[in-house]
This record gives sequence, C-alpha cells and structure tokens, in this order.
Amino acid sequence: MIAQVWQYILAGVVVGAIYALIAAGFVLIYQVTGIINFAQGEFAMIGAMTASALATGGMPVLEAAGIAVLAAAVTGALCYLLAIRPARASTGVTLIFITLGLDVALRGLALFVWGTNPLSLPAFSGGSAIVLFGGALPPQSMWVLFTDLLVFGALYLFFRHTYAGTAVRAAVANPPIASTFGIPLRTFAFWSFVAAAAIGGLGGVVIAPITSATYDMGLTLGLAGFVAAVLGGLDSLPGALVGGFVLGIVEKLAGGLLSTGWEQGVGFLILVLVLVLRPQGLLGRAVRRA
Amino acid sequence: MTAAATRPATTTLEVANVTMRFGGVVAVDDVTFTARTGEVLGVMGPNGAGKTTLFNVISGVQKPTSGSVSLGATRLSGRAVEDVAALGVTRTFQTPVMFWGLTVRESVEVALTARAFGGTYPPAPWRELTASGLGMPGRRRAEAAIRERAGAMLAQAGIAAMADRATDSLAFGEERLLEMARALAVSPTVLLLDEPLSGLNPDEISAVLSTIRGARDAGVAVLLVEHAVGELLAVADRVVVLDHGKKIAEGTPQAVAADPLVIDAYIGDELE
Repeated sequence: MIAQVWQYILAGVVVGAIYALIAAGFVLIYQVTGIINFAQGEFAMIGAMTASALATGGMPVLEAAGIAVLAAAVTGALCYLLAIRPARASTGVTLIFITLGLDVALRGLALFVWGTNPLSLPAFSGGSAIVLFGGALPPQSMWVLFTDLLVFGALYLFFRHTYAGTAVRAAVANPPIASTFGIPLRTFAFWSFVAAAAIGGLGGVVIAPITSATYDMGLTLGLAGFVAAVLGGLDSLPGALVGGFVLGIVEKLAGGLLSTGWEQGVGFLILVLVLVLRPQGLLGRAVRRA
Repeated sequence: MTAAATRPATTTLEVANVTMRFGGVVAVDDVTFTARTGEVLGVMGPNGAGKTTLFNVISGVQKPTSGSVSLGATRLSGRAVEDVAALGVTRTFQTPVMFWGLTVRESVEVALTARAFGGTYPPAPWRELTASGLGMPGRRRAEAAIRERAGAMLAQAGIAAMADRATDSLAFGEERLLEMARALAVSPTVLLLDEPLSGLNPDEISAVLSTIRGARDAGVAVLLVEHAVGELLAVADRVVVLDHGKKIAEGTPQAVAADPLVIDAYIGDELE
C-alpha cells in the first residue's frame, strides 16, 4: 500500500512538473497583461506535436525538440500580434474570450495538419527506469524535472537579477506609472506571450515521450495548468511551481486510490475549493495596496 | 541617456490660457504662466483652487478644454502621459505611488534604466533583454555604474540606509523620499511636485527641501504645489497663486505674500 502510494506520488511529481510549466505561462501572461490565456495548453500541444512529427520523419530528437520549442514561441508571438494586440483596447473579458477562440483555432489547425492519430516521440536518452525508494520513474522523467529546474531557475535569475526583469516587475506592480518611466508595456506583453509559449512548448516536448502527442492534448493540459496557476496564485511564479506539483500529486493519488475518473475530476474540485476558501491561491497576494 | 538627447534645447514650460472644465465646473480658468529651468515655481492656492487639475493637465493625464501646454517648441497638450513623461516632464503624487515588490534600490535602478529598454515596437532586441544582467563583461561595468549612480541618488535623498528594504515596508515619509529620488533618477527637465511636504516630519521636510534645491541647481524646472505656505515661500523663486481656478497673482514670494488679493483668498484658510 505504502509502496503504491509512493509510486502514485512519483507519477504525480512528473505530471505536476508539466502542469507547473504551463501554469508558469498562465502567470507570466496574467501578470504582464492581466489576460488569462486559455490557449496556453495549445502551446504545449504544438511543442509536442511538432517534435513528434519531426522525429517521426527522422530528425534527431533533441534537434526536433529545439525546433518544436521555436515553433511554439513563434505561435505565441503570432497569437499576440494577430489576435491580442489589435484588440488591446478591449476589456479583460473580451480578451479572455479571444484566447478561448485561439484555443479552438490552434486545436483545429493541429487537427488539419497532423490528423487525429497520436504521434510518439522517442525518449531523449535511453536507459532503464530509475528506482527511487522502491518507486520507479521512466528515464524521461529526469528530463522533465531538469526542464523545470532550468525554466524556473532562469525565470528567477531574470526577474531578480536583471534590470529588464526588475522593469517587468515594476510594470506588473503599476502599469500606468511604469509607462511614465519609459517602461514599454506592449513590448513586455509581446515577450510574455513568447516566453509563455516557449515554456509551454518545452513542457509539451518533454512530456511527449511519456504520454505521446495528440492534437487535442492541449485542452486537458491547459485546464490542468490553469488549475495549478489558480491554486498557486495567478500572480506568483513560485505559486505556479507549487500548484503544479500539488495538483499532479493529488490527481495521481485520487486516480490510483479512488478511481481513474477522479484523476480527471479532482482538479476541478480543487479549483472550486481554492476559489471559495483562498481565492488568491497558496502563494498569491491577497489584496494589493493602491 | 538617449531620452535627454531627444528633448528640446529650450526648456521653458509654457502654460498658455489653459482652461479645464468638468461639466459646469471650471476647475482651471484661463491660466497662463511660464516655468524656467533652474527655478522653483511655487503654485499656491486654497483647497479646490485647481492646483492638482493643473498638474494633471501639464502631465497629460487630462486634456485641457482649451489652451495649451508646451515645453520649449514642443506642444505637450494632446500627448499621452507616457509621451509627455518621455519629453522630460516627471511628477510625484499627493499619495506616493510605489512599485510594490521592488526594493528601494531597485525602484531607483528601474527609473535609471527603464528608457534603455526602448519604447519601440516591434519588440526590443534580444540584446537588451539578455545582456542586461547575465554577466557579460562589458555589461558588468555598465551595471556597476548604474548601481553606483543609484547609490548616490539614494544618499542624496537621505534614504541610503534603507536601500535594500522592500517598498512595501516603508513608512509614508520614506515613500515620499523614495518617490522624489525615483523622479530625479529619470533626469527630468520639469519636475511637478504635488504637496511633497504633507505628512512629513521636520527631518524629512528638510530632506525634501534640500532635494528640491539640489534639483533646481542642477537645472530642473521645479513646479511645487504645497499647502505649507511658509515652506513654499521659503523655497520658491517665483510664485503663482490660484483661486477658484483663476490665477490671481504671480511674482516673487515677498510680493505675493504682501498681495491683498492673496491675503484675501487665504483669509479663514491656511495662511500661516
């Protein structure tokens, strides 16, 4: 029993690491633009599908992965330039609906390009399963956790140790005043989409060898990332990390101990509970002064 | 800095026949004056005289109903707030506005570096984003220079000791001092100060006054709205007096203080 629970937790950590990446995308875009980007999961799908399609065509895996992340980033840039920026004078709700439209459009595009068949991507490196205190992890999960370390480490360095990152934080704290200091809000909004898309794409690429890639994988990943972001606090990157792992572990435990149906549904239960009990999330700020 | 290069060479702020109407209320009524670089222009008047509205018009927050504001040959009225700011007009607020989550030092560093990220669109080149702190040798020196400059500005404002504190933890007076330092960090041509002395203790008041004099001596045109009339008359080179939106007097502090119209406007109010 204990061994089984441990195995569920390990599996939850792996999937939670992906949720954390997608949640980070939600947080980045939300902080800089105030938009909740419901197309976020599709960036992961584009990463996973592009990498899988290229690798299936014979390209080395790491090369395919690099191109896939680039493709996701370009998709993010285009989403901003073609759909968000022209409507930037609209209210928040309108912009959120636009992202829902983007979500459907990107999934439709993927269906058109790649069809409904799942694609597979070889693991980045070979080797046998890693055994940790009796629980087993596929070798690819090390790549997943390494990616989280890399992405969140880079985000931390950027926001805490560069002037650009400090300027973004100032823009987040008070957009109108920040713009009077010459902080280019629109440029930052553009880059927040690019970064969120690249991070999401990277998440899709590293999870594809474990789950395989389908045109509609973005929907579930996006919703899970959203729940993780809300759970951690929509304005907190550390919250995205914590929220992702908590959600992943809870899902796998519920799926394993209750029934697989619970694995899909427990996230929404968490969402409702967070919104009722602690709307600012685990690490978010309750009320911002002035 | 690049922003300074694009600023007009003549830097006299001209407020010409500015009227600001809100429905039936005339908040500012046909006001004309100029402010020159290297002087402190006091703007005084009883509550509701239109001082803050005037600042809103100058800084571009509100578009005047009629009249114009220009800086040298450049017309400011009609431009967006950030464009007016980019032309060298910086303001502080009655309630200091902080960047929550940043430290005191970071707040000043942001003000020093923000323009380097360029207001341009399409997006700033990678160079600026990646090179800004990731440890390239040439950049290290630039960074050290910024850090040193920020340190000097904090020292000048009398808040060096709190450099690494979070802005969220500052007391009101400390926020005010930081807001002044941050405003000066962008090397403004015109500095609009909205009641910078209110709510401060005597030490903080003298710190702000010396900062104001320092800015003036550095060639900034300082517009000072202040309820503490004694301090305002002491620090101002010239004074404009508003009452019910109209300019009722303009001149040296001595002349204005002796003006019967001014005394009349302040009777029962707060002339000290």
